Amino acid sequence: MELSRFVTIGQYIATESPVHRLDPRTKIGAVTLLMVVIFLVRDFTGYALLTAFLFGIVVLSRIPVSHVLRGLRPIVFLLAVTLILNVFFSGIEGGQVLFRLGPLVVTREAVVRAVFIGYRLIALVVATSLLTFTTSPVELTDGIERLLRPFRRIGVPAHELAMMMTIALRFIPTLLEETEKIIKAQMARGAEFERGNVFRRARALVPVLVPLFVSAFRRAEELALAMEARCYRGGEKRTRMKQLRFAPRDAFAMGVTVAASAIFALPFETWVAFLR
Amino acid sequence: MNRQSLQRLVELGIAIALVVVLSNVRIYKLPQGGSVTAGSMVPIFYVALRWGAKWGIIAGILAGVVNYVFEPFFVHPVQVLLDYPVAFGALGLAGLFARQPVVGIIVGGAGRWLAHFVSGVVYFATYAPKGTSPAVYSAVYNGSYMLPEVVISVILTLVVLRAMQRIRPMQQA
Repeated sequence: MELSRFVTIGQYIATESPVHRLDPRTKIGAVTLLMVVIFLVRDFTGYALLTAFLFGIVVLSRIPVSHVLRGLRPIVFLLAVTLILNVFFSGIEGGQVLFRLGPLVVTREAVVRAVFIGYRLIALVVATSLLTFTTSPVELTDGIERLLRPFRRIGVPAHELAMMMTIALRFIPTLLEETEKIIKAQMARGAEFERGNVFRRARALVPVLVPLFVSAFRRAEELALAMEARCYRGGEKRTRMKQLRFAPRDAFAMGVTVAASAIFALPFETWVAFLR
Repeated sequence: MNRQSLQRLVELGIAIALVVVLSNVRIYKLPQGGSVTAGSMVPIFYVALRWGAKWGIIAGILAGVVNYVFEPFFVHPVQVLLDYPVAFGALGLAGLFARQPVVGIIVGGAGRWLAHFVSGVVYFATYAPKGTSPAVYSAVYNGSYMLPEVVISVILTLVVLRAMQRIRPMQQA
């Protein structure tokens, strides 16, 4: 049972930086744009510029580079498999042969493509985790609510969805603590969670899950009552303490990202040549 | 907003929090990175069976989004949609079988497996050279943790349902 991770879950790094201060909507928009660009870039110059740009954002947001690299850990296995497949089983006929390994032929073209693909994966993970590194979950929820607002007309209950996520985010730490307490209490009574096969371990969880659910849903009832007592009535005409503001710096950041994206994806002839 | 929908809203929020909490309690790790969690799908099954498929699916989608916020794994836009909102949303299908929870959980689990399976195929189609057959690998890999996870969920959901029924009988809408 992994309890050590309970202390911090999530990736958000709370520091003060120009990137942290941006409106969450700006960051969601910019990351979406970068994602598209990562798929569009087709040459080494583009990738070099993109790397410099991403690195610039990392520096600006005051996130330790080591932390960003640690974020790549979950994809290491996938990356390795992908690279091996692309280098040894590329299926590229002809091409300049670099070396042979038994029946496997490794061509220069295959290696180049593997490097591209590997780089693209890493760039995607770095770009998308920049969002979660610099934006707290609560800010992200606020941003999502605002971005969903136009869809209210077609029946998307933007406010309710955001309220559920906000409640979830607020109670994750509380319930984590609760879970830890219950696990410890059951261990004190001699429960064993780390022995036996998967199913035995699952059975051992019954005395954890039942009290956890009972207390969690009791909390839900109390919360509903408290909200009702304070006249909560859903999204209409609700005001908020912290308003999201699209400030000049957001316009600036968005402008820079759009311009940069255009430049990275620009060598148009190369694509045309590639597509032919 | 009436009392029942407020109650539902809050319960769904708490269920989403429980998903995130339980996903962080891993009881078994597979060598390739998949892991079996402490019944992290149980909260979604519980609200789906209690409030119906529509709300189960909504809770699942949001749980997927929140899970992504905490542990993003992004290699392809379609993959992200399939692995988070779609996969978790599929769990809510259990609500279609409120009278046979076991069937519901199996259907929900199968739906989630299908989403991960397709996502694996999309990944390979994008990043692996042509001619590699991704289907079998994706099916086996995703099955390897989903199967025990579903079995665990069946046991735990039934126990939780029974316990909750005892302390707080279901009020039908």
